[in-house]
Amino acid sequence: MTGRRVAVVGAGMTRFVRRAQETGKELAFQASRAALNAAEMTLDQIDAVCLTSAPDAFDGVHRKGDYLADGAGAWGKPYIRTYVGGGSGVFTAIQGWYTVASGQADVVLCVAEEKMSSCQPHPQGAFLTIFDNILERPLGPNLLWIFALEMNRYMNRYGLEKRDIASVAVKNKRNAADHPAALLGQADISVEDVLASEVLAWPVQRLDVSPISDGAAAVIMASEDAARRLTDRPVWVDGVGWNLDTTYWTNRDLSYPEYVEHAARMAYDMAGVTEPRKQIHVAEPYDPFDYKELHHLEGLLLFDKGKAPEAAADGVTARDGDLPCCPSGGLLGVGNPIAAAGLMKIAELFWQLRGEAGARQVPGTPERGVAQAWGDLMQVGTVVVMGVDPNGHRSASTATEPAETIGPTPLSDGEFRSASGAVDTPLDVRFAWDPGSAVGAFLDGLRDGRILATTCASCGRTLVPPRAFCERCFRATDAWTSLEAVGTVETFSICHVTWDMHPLEEPELPAVIRIDGASDGGFLHKLGEVGPDDVRIGMRVEAVWRPMEDRDGSILDIAYFRPADPGVRRELVATTEVTA
Amino acid sequence: MSPRIGLTGLGWTGFTPTTAGRSYKELMFEAAAAAYLDAGVDPRTDVDSFVCASEDLEEGTSIFDEYVPDQIGAVQRPVHTVASDGLFALATGVMLIRSGVARTVAVEAHSKASDLLTQGRVDAFALDPVLNRPLGVPALALAGLEMRRYLDASGRDAKECAEVADRNREHARSNPRASLGDPEEADVPTFDPLTTHQTARSVDGCVVIVLAAEERSNPKTVWVDGVGWSQDAPSVESRDWAKAVAAANAAATAFAQAGVDPGDVDVAEVDDTFAYKQLQHLDAMGLERMDPDRVNRSGGALGEGYLHEANGLARTLAAVEQLRAGDGRAAVVQSWRGVPSTSAAVAVLRSA
Amino acid sequence: MTVRRIEGGLPVAFRYTPGVGNTAFLEAVRDRGVFLGSRCPTCGRTYLPARIFCERDLTELTPDTECGPEGTVESWTVAHHDVDDAPLEPPVTYALVRLDGADTVLLHRLLAPAEIGARVRPVLRDERAASVLDLEGFEPA
Repeated sequence: MTGRRVAVVGAGMTRFVRRAQETGKELAFQASRAALNAAEMTLDQIDAVCLTSAPDAFDGVHRKGDYLADGAGAWGKPYIRTYVGGGSGVFTAIQGWYTVASGQADVVLCVAEEKMSSCQPHPQGAFLTIFDNILERPLGPNLLWIFALEMNRYMNRYGLEKRDIASVAVKNKRNAADHPAALLGQADISVEDVLASEVLAWPVQRLDVSPISDGAAAVIMASEDAARRLTDRPVWVDGVGWNLDTTYWTNRDLSYPEYVEHAARMAYDMAGVTEPRKQIHVAEPYDPFDYKELHHLEGLLLFDKGKAPEAAADGVTARDGDLPCCPSGGLLGVGNPIAAAGLMKIAELFWQLRGEAGARQVPGTPERGVAQAWGDLMQVGTVVVMGVDPNGHRSASTATEPAETIGPTPLSDGEFRSASGAVDTPLDVRFAWDPGSAVGAFLDGLRDGRILATTCASCGRTLVPPRAFCERCFRATDAWTSLEAVGTVETFSICHVTWDMHPLEEPELPAVIRIDGASDGGFLHKLGEVGPDDVRIGMRVEAVWRPMEDRDGSILDIAYFRPADPGVRRELVATTEVTA
Repeated sequence: MSPRIGLTGLGWTGFTPTTAGRSYKELMFEAAAAAYLDAGVDPRTDVDSFVCASEDLEEGTSIFDEYVPDQIGAVQRPVHTVASDGLFALATGVMLIRSGVARTVAVEAHSKASDLLTQGRVDAFALDPVLNRPLGVPALALAGLEMRRYLDASGRDAKECAEVADRNREHARSNPRASLGDPEEADVPTFDPLTTHQTARSVDGCVVIVLAAEERSNPKTVWVDGVGWSQDAPSVESRDWAKAVAAANAAATAFAQAGVDPGDVDVAEVDDTFAYKQLQHLDAMGLERMDPDRVNRSGGALGEGYLHEANGLARTLAAVEQLRAGDGRAAVVQSWRGVPSTSAAVAVLRSA
Repeated sequence: MTVRRIEGGLPVAFRYTPGVGNTAFLEAVRDRGVFLGSRCPTCGRTYLPARIFCERDLTELTPDTECGPEGTVESWTVAHHDVDDAPLEPPVTYALVRLDGADTVLLHRLLAPAEIGARVRPVLRDERAASVLDLEGFEPA
């Protein structure tokens, strides 16, 4: 059974701003209106609405999908919100694709919205709640940790230079200076500026990161018959792919995003792309951090493992390079209202492939592009391959700008603080999570000063953290075993800010500790009794347990891990108290 | 629509007020293992796509889809979350198969409501933060408002609603899955005219359903011939307070797709989170003349317990069981997301 | 195995800007004691509070139509419990009120008993802050 061909026929977006006056509903409306205007269509031509938006904890509305439905034009229409964390924005187009390809609708409006500025005291703080509620949140993890841990691992594995990675931030912010919706466009930024910016969680520096923003984007997708009636230059969705890796991110080698490769292969197979580097002419990989663009370009099979940074440094990925990447300016340049930023990449390919990207237009006549987003705990890849018929590209000489962006009304911090009618509300909800049999036993083990693991007789693995099921074999695990609390530092970071972005007097040293005897790594914890400059990937470490009377069956029963070699230890430095 | 899509495997666990000592992951593993066994599939090789229904604030974890793949056999596979009721995830599975991108899809939803201490506060967090929440109004008040409006507009009375609750609980006595028994407390107003006995009680549980393209069906397969979903205006200010508009729209789509008329339906498993909703939903879908004893023969949520995001899959499970047993030939399954939502989905199922 | 529950919450808070439509409505309540809505020129539907978009056709709207002040009760309920399921003593009555000229309803407190169809009027506080709580509720007219 094969479905129908599906095309994108229109796109629109709001500007991306640090904080918008508009509600999420109003942002969704502005983007939807912009897309309808660009396509010269009315809402009654839309059969169904597909929406994505990343955590409810940003906008601060439970069941955010329902809340946004009216602004997204979904009154009385079939409407679903799908959600794959940061991968959501590109997934909006996948949802639109299967809604049309299946025959459920002929014309769909796909909307992505994010209002991150609502979250207080700092939107970054909402990311605390993406970590495991029992084994990770008590450590007070900062979102920056997982990026820093991954960036460190990636750089270490391939011997990468920070300078090459920083060139991506420069490229994208310069590209974004030509994007009418951009928040962070900067025509004159240099690599030196990036390298001189504040270290947040080594090796992540401030200008490596795309910050919090508000905004929305929308595209209109249609079946082949409808698309040919609606536009003379449809941009086809040639391939879609998505893939989610194991929750146990501390059991994975973070130096390469396998799940992006799987998603890319799924999309390339559908699109008939057999040599991506040759057949993809323009790419919009997901770039919340500069190194992520490179990581993802390798996962997209556009560069060999470890080789994307030098290609970037050589100008291959510049707008006028051999494979332009993020000609839009990406998240680093346009902004990062999570789901909207991903859908912005789909919109960018739509404009680029039709020759409508104005000052951002890549040279030549690109016929095929790939957009990719990422999300969750270094876990999900969403990929869309788009293409035009060979005569579908309008030559640069007749290129036009797409319809202007609509809204929103940007507010300064002062205006935000004093906005009339603003409502302040804490999220005062309480849970009593049942850890279940496997994690419950693990916590008992910690209380007793042991690391417990489960084993799978089928694949032979020893699993830490233990689980009642083997996720590789899909069968119940067979037995328990006890491991010593010693291991190796798989990756680490030096973090200078708390989970809600306050500066720390003494840096924290989060690390993934690979426990001896565990098959695939171990768990997240912190290092102590070691100077930040003395930590090395591969260093041998041992747990320092709290006194028995202070243990209560928690990941914090281990106070920290210290170097196994007494010669490397230094005097205990007081660490920030963390509360669950 | 042809070729057809079948429900080839069912698995469930829980349906009890608590599931102490089992985490949500362990509940999911149990239900998934049972569904894959029933369908005769290995998720690591035979299932092409996985769709889960969940909401972050019900779980207490943001980006909850991070936590699903391992226990349903979906690691490094296409997985995504539908932020809605499980019946919307099932409809999504149907679209995935019809689009050609998958031939076998697993759909999952669960409730671990016993982990959530402040259900009322979470429900209220779905209300408009500027226009409604500052009043301190509980989300359940919307059910009281709608019930009074519905009774006034429809000419039905509160006694008919009480009869729905009694009948559903009577049906539940012969449902081995129903663990609740009769309510222990007195039947008193909560959000007048709504009462305690007319409100379904929360339970924990998980339901996993396997869908497959026709060529992968088995002798137990029940066909899902039509799916539809919709919602009315989400705002308190603008929605229709008398009619279940979303259920009407969704049913019209599902019936048309399946080529089935309301009069052909002999099994109905519809939302009864509140007793009046069952009547309102039947009215909206053109099923008001159905024999009441053929509606929610499982006992519905009033009898089996309210499974939150898994409510629609619980109704699906019950309908498939009835069709497999030969207790009917054409079933309507309908879900509503509960206060303060106006979203509803409908599936039309047929036995072979 | 010890049976345990791990308690926790989601330690974030929110500051919600009312948005363009609601800000116009709330400021009109605060400054002039009037109820400002928006009328859609495409379909004729009048929204109260004011909106910048019509949900039925996505026409751009402006806050241009005063409604009320009196209205009609469309429904009411007596809440015997609060958001934490604790008993409300005394119970609180909420109502849906359609102000004259609006096609939508407002949710607020009903300060004295009234049936569906009854005419009511708003009770505004003397000190107002651009909030829905600038109204105490509605009372029979």
